[in-house]
Amino acid sequence: MIRNCILIVFLALSTTAIYAQNNAINAGEKLTYTASYNMSGVLTDIAQVTMETSKVQTSKATLLRLKCTAATYSKWDSFFKIRDLYESYVNPSNLTPYLYNRDVNEGSYFKNMKYTFSHSSNTVKSVMKKKNDYVENNNVKINSGTKDIVSTLYSMRILDYKKMSVGTQKTFNIIFDNEEVKGIITYLGKETISTAIGRKECYKLAVGSSEANVLQGKNSNFVWLTADENKIMVYGKFKIPVGNGELKIKSASGLKN
Amino acid sequence: MKKLFTILAVITSFLAIIFSVLPISNLAIFPAIAALVFGGVAFYLSKKAGEVKKIIQFSFLLTTCALTLTTYKAFFIKTEVENTEVLDEKEVQFEEEAIEELENLDFEDFEIDESELESINLDN
Repeated sequence: MIRNCILIVFLALSTTAIYAQNNAINAGEKLTYTASYNMSGVLTDIAQVTMETSKVQTSKATLLRLKCTAATYSKWDSFFKIRDLYESYVNPSNLTPYLYNRDVNEGSYFKNMKYTFSHSSNTVKSVMKKKNDYVENNNVKINSGTKDIVSTLYSMRILDYKKMSVGTQKTFNIIFDNEEVKGIITYLGKETISTAIGRKECYKLAVGSSEANVLQGKNSNFVWLTADENKIMVYGKFKIPVGNGELKIKSASGLKN
Repeated sequence: MKKLFTILAVITSFLAIIFSVLPISNLAIFPAIAALVFGGVAFYLSKKAGEVKKIIQFSFLLTTCALTLTTYKAFFIKTEVENTEVLDEKEVQFEEEAIEELENLDFEDFEIDESELESINLDN
């Protein structure tokens, strides 16, 4: 369930605007969320999701590290402990990914997935590791502009929603588990909502996917991005196979604008 | 009818107490409400028949305990993340490995306009 939640949230925050310029994301930004399960209005907090950015210096380039972690609250740890780490190393100006790492630890389940992007040949070298030293190497052909889930998540924030009219749809490609997933986001207009960081005017987006088992139903998954220059996600509401999930912002620091 | 409501009250009150001790304690409110309703009906019917069984009072007691525990957990127990040492270590280890790997990559399409880069503050 958590894995699907994370995928949905990441899909929810994806975009086709791969060549848009980054005017919203800085190194040193930290966003913290609470992931909850909602049953008839009664919320149960499940995990904390953190999204951080930092600068990474190599001898050839300066990159931006986009890191997302998900960790269950201590009360859940004895039942189902989750410690997930997703990271992507991207070009800071247009968020094109070069290296992606996904380390999943959920209960007794472990999986590590690493993608190395080659944008000139439109391929991704993938290395998957599982329990008992299982290693699988693959070379995956991708479409031009396909990104990993973390960089697409951040890329959504560099879209220009001011120019969009209500009902505008965007499709996008994400590589996940060695497969390309096609997603659709629909701009639904502005809405003002109350959050832990204050009352915010937001862009409301509906999210859909070609993967029917990931997103249940049409227009039942929504995200709210602040309608300012930072465009941070403050609230996410999504339908999952076993009910409804919510992602609420807890704190935000190091914002660019 | 009286018997049916008594059984339902007992089952739902047990569910409420089980939920209340689990991390999903907030959800205990649903079986607890059901237990109160079933217990109330069973109590009314029993009183009408002139005999109130102890088991109905027991289900009320269980429901009250479940609601007290749920309320206490909701208001006084802080939800926080603990034991993240392994995750923290992995974050550092992955970054070191990634830098090593990135050193071997060709950034053939890495074309950044200097003026664009200036507008992105990477020094935080």
